[in-house]
Amino acid sequence: MKKFISSSIFAIFLAVAVLSFTSTASAEELKMLGTISKIEMAADGKSAAVILKDTKSGAEVPILITDELTLDKFKDKRIIVDDEIRCRYDNESGKNLSKSFKKTAGC
Amino acid sequence: MKFHKTAPLLVSAILLFSSTFVYAAEDHSQHVKGSFKSGPEVTKVCLECHEKQATDFMKTTHWNWKGTPNHVKGLEKSSKLYGKANMLNAFCTSIEAGKDGIVHEACDKCHAGYGWTRTNYDFSNKSNVDCLICHSQKGNYQRAAIGCTVDMKSMEKGAMDLDLAARSIGMPTRRNCGYCHFFGGGADAVKHAGLDSTLEKTTKKQDVHMGSKASGGQDMNCQACHITKEHKISGASSMMAHFDARVACTDCHTGTMAPHQKSKNGAIINSHAASVACETCHIPVFNKAQATKMTWKWSDTGKDLTSEEQFDKETFSKKKGSFTWAMNVTPVYAWYNGKIERYMAGDKIKNPKKPVIMTKPVGDIKDKSAKIYPYKLYTGDQPMDSKYKYLGIFQQHKSLWDDFNWDTALKNGSEILPYSGKYEFVNTVSYISASHEVSPKEDAVQCGECHMGGKRMNWKELGYKGDPMKIGRRGFKK
Repeated sequence: MKKFISSSIFAIFLAVAVLSFTSTASAEELKMLGTISKIEMAADGKSAAVILKDTKSGAEVPILITDELTLDKFKDKRIIVDDEIRCRYDNESGKNLSKSFKKTAGC
Repeated sequence: MKFHKTAPLLVSAILLFSSTFVYAAEDHSQHVKGSFKSGPEVTKVCLECHEKQATDFMKTTHWNWKGTPNHVKGLEKSSKLYGKANMLNAFCTSIEAGKDGIVHEACDKCHAGYGWTRTNYDFSNKSNVDCLICHSQKGNYQRAAIGCTVDMKSMEKGAMDLDLAARSIGMPTRRNCGYCHFFGGGADAVKHAGLDSTLEKTTKKQDVHMGSKASGGQDMNCQACHITKEHKISGASSMMAHFDARVACTDCHTGTMAPHQKSKNGAIINSHAASVACETCHIPVFNKAQATKMTWKWSDTGKDLTSEEQFDKETFSKKKGSFTWAMNVTPVYAWYNGKIERYMAGDKIKNPKKPVIMTKPVGDIKDKSAKIYPYKLYTGDQPMDSKYKYLGIFQQHKSLWDDFNWDTALKNGSEILPYSGKYEFVNTVSYISASHEVSPKEDAVQCGECHMGGKRMNWKELGYKGDPMKIGRRGFKK
């Protein structure tokens, strides 16, 4: 019985490890420079869907923002439509999850 | 004797009480009515109750951008005032370039006042004080890059609400201070070591003091350490000639909050304190969340180089030259006795083949008052007048950035220092203090990183004959 439990725990641990590794490996990190064409805050304020228009290709890329710092910037309009953004994101199960979302401005 | 034991407790209690009092700012929304069309209109209302505060503020370096050079070795007796207003650095270099201070307009986005666009600015006019830049909490208060005033474009776009900004007055938050200090050098994270906009909302892992409570941090505002009296904010920048007052870890970490009390090696660790600053062990790396600029070659301005991306930042701009960036930077270490060696405008460069020291801490192993501190070693190049042998002041806006002509830019920037007509580029080096992003204790520098073969410290450069753990620490006669 003891052996069964320890084998099961080991099997679960192995499965979790493999699955986490697989999910990490499948998340592709991408970068882009673009201007914001749309910002849509979620009703609970915990995420925002943004459309970034790629400066080079003109393609419109949907980005999901979940970090508090950037969400605050949307809420008090420090980042608005037409701002140029340098963005790094993971493409994870069809969603482009933002890892870094910063205005390019400087003097 | 008893008093000596209770004094630290008493001081801590007073500090705690006063900081609680400080943060309990009054709700101003009842007092500040309006519809406001400009910044000075808001100031006029502030002055109805806070004339003394404006008078106090106008005595500070945040207003005057200069003060007595009490931080600079060799200038202790100088009666001339120095500061951002008339010093040079190796980033955007100078605010003085151009006829009648033409570049002031962009630099003065960070002056806590309205209208300083030209050299004849009236520093005695209270109505020019910008209270909102440090005290506004809502409404996304923004200053314009041109005109040294409220950003009307943001208002027109609906991105800023001046009325809301005026009604939301409170004690400064990290965002208020960060509006300028996170963006030193012209953009986010450029200049200061470990001081960038990620600290606005951060975790204990990045900074134990500023990290959120949820992450185990203290969520402290800047003024919790940078204690402020009559608007004079404490803190001595490693680049600036003047400080109004100093900040020390021991301002708080004393008595019951004294360090290493629970550490089993507490006595050994504390014995380091005679030669090693707290920051040296507790800031093992800086710029943990965003890269900082490590080099800036102005000499590449105007060239057609390809810009690469390094840590999400550009490595080249035709207007400014080329740069390198780094994250999680291990500091360099140097002795500091409370003074800096600082290049001042007009100082002659004795050997242009050697890097010009823009700023460097003063002190050495023989100096009892000096300790080893951590620094960001920042290098670059900028033009020197070949005849007069001093760093040139050049006009960027409406000159270099338009035609990339250094000769014209130096000529246009020669209002303060004459330009001979010949220039060459010289290398520069700056030691910029790493004093933010204090790590959790479990991330502090470990013994083996410096001693017993550890490479973090260059003992020979610091003046030791070898690892002091082997050869013994520096000693002083009593």
